[in-house]
Amino acid sequence: MAAPEEIETAVAALSESSGLEFRVTDVPVIGTNLYVVYARNHPLPEKYTVSSATLGFRVPGNFPDAGPEDSFFLQPDDIRLKEDDPVTHTRNLNRASSNQDFVRGTELEGAALVFSWHLWEKRPWSRSKNTLIDHYAHCVRRFDQPEHD
Amino acid sequence: MPSSKRLPTCALTSEVHIACESNRWKEIEERLRKESPNEACVFAFTRQSRGSSRTTSILRECFWPVDGDVQASPHWLEISADYISRVMDAAVDAGESTGIALIHTHPDTEYGIGRGVFSGRDDWYEARLFPTITLARPKAISASIVLGSASKDIDARVWWNDGSGVRTQPANLLRLVGPEITFIETPHSDWRDHPDPSMMDRSTRLWGAEGRRILQNLRVGIVGVGGTGSIVLFSLATMGVGRICAWDIDTMKKENLHRTLGATKDTIGSNNVEAIAPTIRAIATATPFDLMPFDSSGTSTAGLIKLKDCDLAFCCVDRFAPRVPLNDFAYAHLVPVIDMASWIDASEKTVDAIMTHAHVWSPGIPCAWCRQTITSRRLTREAQGDQRDIERRAPYGLPLEQTDGVEPSVLPLNVAGVGLALLEFMQVALKVTKRTPRDLKLFLPEWELDESDLDSQFECDTEDATGLGDTARIRPVS
Repeated sequence: MAAPEEIETAVAALSESSGLEFRVTDVPVIGTNLYVVYARNHPLPEKYTVSSATLGFRVPGNFPDAGPEDSFFLQPDDIRLKEDDPVTHTRNLNRASSNQDFVRGTELEGAALVFSWHLWEKRPWSRSKNTLIDHYAHCVRRFDQPEHD
Repeated sequence: MPSSKRLPTCALTSEVHIACESNRWKEIEERLRKESPNEACVFAFTRQSRGSSRTTSILRECFWPVDGDVQASPHWLEISADYISRVMDAAVDAGESTGIALIHTHPDTEYGIGRGVFSGRDDWYEARLFPTITLARPKAISASIVLGSASKDIDARVWWNDGSGVRTQPANLLRLVGPEITFIETPHSDWRDHPDPSMMDRSTRLWGAEGRRILQNLRVGIVGVGGTGSIVLFSLATMGVGRICAWDIDTMKKENLHRTLGATKDTIGSNNVEAIAPTIRAIATATPFDLMPFDSSGTSTAGLIKLKDCDLAFCCVDRFAPRVPLNDFAYAHLVPVIDMASWIDASEKTVDAIMTHAHVWSPGIPCAWCRQTITSRRLTREAQGDQRDIERRAPYGLPLEQTDGVEPSVLPLNVAGVGLALLEFMQVALKVTKRTPRDLKLFLPEWELDESDLDSQFECDTEDATGLGDTARIRPVS
């Protein structure tokens, strides 16, 4: 099995644009039609407990008619802040939680730290205009925001 | 007199249609007829729609002549080499599968009524023009059309180059597609009337002998033959539709019997279409009647090719994903699709909300994206399957509520939805009222029938690709 050609092509374009080696899983997550696009050793902000991790997001098999999910994840799932956030007074990452099923049945099998990050609700995904490059740019903007925002 | 024996006639496919958006055709006809009593002509781009047994040449952009491009009398036309060159250059720029159609008129003259048949002079001229137009463009199908002075008196043919020279084949039918379809038979039409018209007496009193002839010869596709598709199939066969292609990949289960017409306990384990095909053939009122059942998906690559042989289709699938290619297909290939869907929200014997809708996808009516039947959000949510809405829960540490996605489905609601869709079918194919509605929705518990007022969106990808035929990229869904 392999991911649909449309996703493979979009992932190649994302790799070229970002300079990172993005891949897509050969199979969808069990119980879904979602393939996982991910990059290992993705750099993370200085404030996190690790400097790099696997960063990924899930893309429907009928991409680009259907856009990526409004979320992304990191692995391992125990990444935290080095110091307490001044507002939330915790080292937990805001609006992020560990989930066992997020990449179930793929080569990334294991818990993932899933981030909520709503962009496509406010500006609906356009199958002819938007790309995975847009989605990735939107995901990593999360790291530029104050942690408690 | 037609003299096609002198032309290099060949068979591209067993059937050939010319299709055009009805508004575009109206403009072409009006502008050309204004030049009467002289003959008149225009070049138009064509895109092809290649099915398994039918080729359709779709008329698109027109290139109207300017001063000096055409000299005309009531008996002849002279087209300048400059006009031809300009159009050919533009076709090359438009892509290798863009063909060229020459459309011209035969107005009434002192010798009699202008007839819509190719004259000996037309044959002579086109046999010299089309080798040039088709040269080195093997992927393009070109066309020529002649209009007589009466509105439905038309002849047409397609031209192509098979590598060893120019070839031509008469077109059987002209399809004008907007919110409704108008069929114009050429002298080469193979349409037949029902051999015993009295059998259809009560229906013929509504749509006339012409409507009966359309139904007898119409080829309708039904994608999905489950709760709604089986009712559509029974209804069309009973109404006298002569040619039906039906697709369903699923196998009949005991859980389907309570809402699938024609299914019996003996058919459990058979393919959904194969299970009811013998009954459908037995009840069909058209003569001849041709039912082609397919135990595969109508939105697969092969299914979409076969669907190009159809004049109209019903979308009776229960997911959003296959609606995407069917919606795109309707506009790109000028094959109207009538979409239907039902939805029930219930709790403990009480219906909280019911909706069934029937929506025509065809040029002149906003598409499924514009009407928000299909949204990216809905498609993504559907792709989440067992993990529906996980992105709204998982980040907050909330438990994932598993669902198998199966919703209620009951026969009365499906019959109501099919009823709406069949009324729309009568309008699209037979024009029984003045206009085709946009999107009819029946709501409970309000017991209201609403017509949506959503318009086409600015820069709609689907509607921008109207008439592009095989040039439009449509992603199959299996």
